[in-house]
Amino acid sequence: MKRDRSLIGWLAAPAVIYLVLVYALPLLWLLARSITGPEGITFALFRDFFADPFSWRVIGNTMRIAGLVTLVCLLVGYPVAFALARAKGMRQVVLLAAIILPLSVGVVVKAFAWQVVLRRDGVVSQFLVGIGVWSEPQRLLFTETGLVIGAANVFLPFMILPIYSVVKLIDPRLMEAGATLGVGPLRRFFRILLPLTLPGVVSGIAFVFSLAVSMFVIPSLLIGDRFQTLATLTGRSFLLMRNEALGSVTATVLLVLAVMIVLLSSLLARRAARFS
Amino acid sequence: MVLPLSDAATGGTRIAPLLEESGDIEMSQLGPVLNRRRFAAALGAGTFVLASPGIVRAQTREIVIGGAASHKPWFETHIQAAFERKFRCRLTFEGTRSLVNLEKMQKNKDRPYISVVQMDDPVMILAVREGLLEPITATKAPNLARLKPGTVHMDGMWANYLQPWQGIAFNSNVLRTPPASWNDMFEGRFRSRIIVPSLQNTEGLPNIFMMAHLVTGKPMAEAYKDIDAAFAGFRRLKPNLLTAYSQMPQAFSLMEQGEAHMIVGALSSFGMQRRLDGAPVGMVAPREGIFPVPSGIAVVKGGPHQDLAFAYVNELLGAEVQNRIVPPTFALPTNLDATIPPGMPSGVTVHPIDWAFVAENRAAWVQRWDREMAL
Repeated sequence: MKRDRSLIGWLAAPAVIYLVLVYALPLLWLLARSITGPEGITFALFRDFFADPFSWRVIGNTMRIAGLVTLVCLLVGYPVAFALARAKGMRQVVLLAAIILPLSVGVVVKAFAWQVVLRRDGVVSQFLVGIGVWSEPQRLLFTETGLVIGAANVFLPFMILPIYSVVKLIDPRLMEAGATLGVGPLRRFFRILLPLTLPGVVSGIAFVFSLAVSMFVIPSLLIGDRFQTLATLTGRSFLLMRNEALGSVTATVLLVLAVMIVLLSSLLARRAARFS
Repeated sequence: MVLPLSDAATGGTRIAPLLEESGDIEMSQLGPVLNRRRFAAALGAGTFVLASPGIVRAQTREIVIGGAASHKPWFETHIQAAFERKFRCRLTFEGTRSLVNLEKMQKNKDRPYISVVQMDDPVMILAVREGLLEPITATKAPNLARLKPGTVHMDGMWANYLQPWQGIAFNSNVLRTPPASWNDMFEGRFRSRIIVPSLQNTEGLPNIFMMAHLVTGKPMAEAYKDIDAAFAGFRRLKPNLLTAYSQMPQAFSLMEQGEAHMIVGALSSFGMQRRLDGAPVGMVAPREGIFPVPSGIAVVKGGPHQDLAFAYVNELLGAEVQNRIVPPTFALPTNLDATIPPGMPSGVTVHPIDWAFVAENRAAWVQRWDREMAL
């Protein structure tokens, strides 16, 4: 039995080798580059980076946008995941298709489509003027709001699907049992449903946050080069400014921040589940 | 050396003797008996079969051209098929930004895969500094001798095959009266309606000099190094600035759809092509003058098929090809024998650009832009 298990472990070998070659080694090179100077190992690059107020602004931009995109995806995606899990037959097929099919459309295509939608005469502006929220057409393109809306649309399926996979395992009778015991709807949600769905929520947050914190094409097209994030600064450093040192530093900072946030959210979710 | 047509397909000249040697004809005359002649024939045929992949490869020699993404349409229409037919080879055009092409050359310095680069002059300076280019000589590209003065740079490291110009593009449906001055971009009616090229793009850099000229009021030759004045101009433009583009098609799309009204510092080669395509785009040379945006071409040192690379460069420097590509690109030719098409701006000052100054300071300007022009 033990031998079988060790043999089964080898099934992961191709994927491990692939990831080591195309991901881990280049990543190590990147990390090494960020602490290597002409005179050997140095943290001067990081010191210079963090000493520059502009770097903090870029970090702030990155975290704020990624956080907002994740929040919007969670608020929109959470109820959708329930609708999807509780739907049956054709309705579920249609809902699933509506969520999964957009994944087959490239990010660039979506970003260009959002450019049209977010224009001054785009449908969002027309709608908001139509219902009286705005008195005159306004532009959302090249604004942070437009970026969050466009990015949330692209990443929404990555929030819905993990939550859906957890929700569909929850026995609906649990809520009924709570109700028969006299627990109100809000309390039932916070004491029963939310704790049970937390693993899916954490996975969704981890997915969406990691994607949003490192997005490059979407901000380039929806907000332009007057709004720098760590990812766009990294891309520019390598591709345009030919400043590998800065690019390695920004990439490392981005990686550390993303990993920290994902780990932290996972830790908080576990604690919350235990507490509830 | 220019590759003559007859020598271009060396594989082709080998095929005929091999066919004769293969003995197919002899085989048909022979009976089914295995003899020495038939054995030799079969051996010859076998050799031909085994060698044929190499021959096919030799027939379809391929070179990669690293150029601007926006050049691809005219490259495909006016260059590719004709060159491939003439030199019996295949051209692959990798369209991207000049700095990305430079990166590709630098990363593959030991084993270059790009044979020719078509890049902006300031990026050519960087490529020369890194020893990435092979000098062009009149022996290898005879048309080099027929170029206008000032279009062959750094002892032939690169040459200009076109000179597009930079002015103001505008939406002709929105602006019935074309802008007459670069100062028009500051007018209140253009709030959030102006697009400029990013300083990441080469065509973004002349705006610095025009800003310095407009803000100081001094002649261009005196003003262009006053970078503080230039950034004061950019800051003044902020309320009117919709965005600074890094993708030119995106910028033109926004203008054509009415979101933007003007692109200040637009390239004639793109703007006038869009007008030709039926888009509501006008292109003007404002009264303060325009900037030439020389398009450089160079051979990559150690790149594949150097003979084809020089042949390609020679073609683009020649009057015949320039006469074909000048009208659709709305640029000025650089070959003295090429014809300047009608409709090009005349009587307007063309401000030369000090690209060495640009190359020295570009990174600092981009950093300053990030800080001072952020949303």
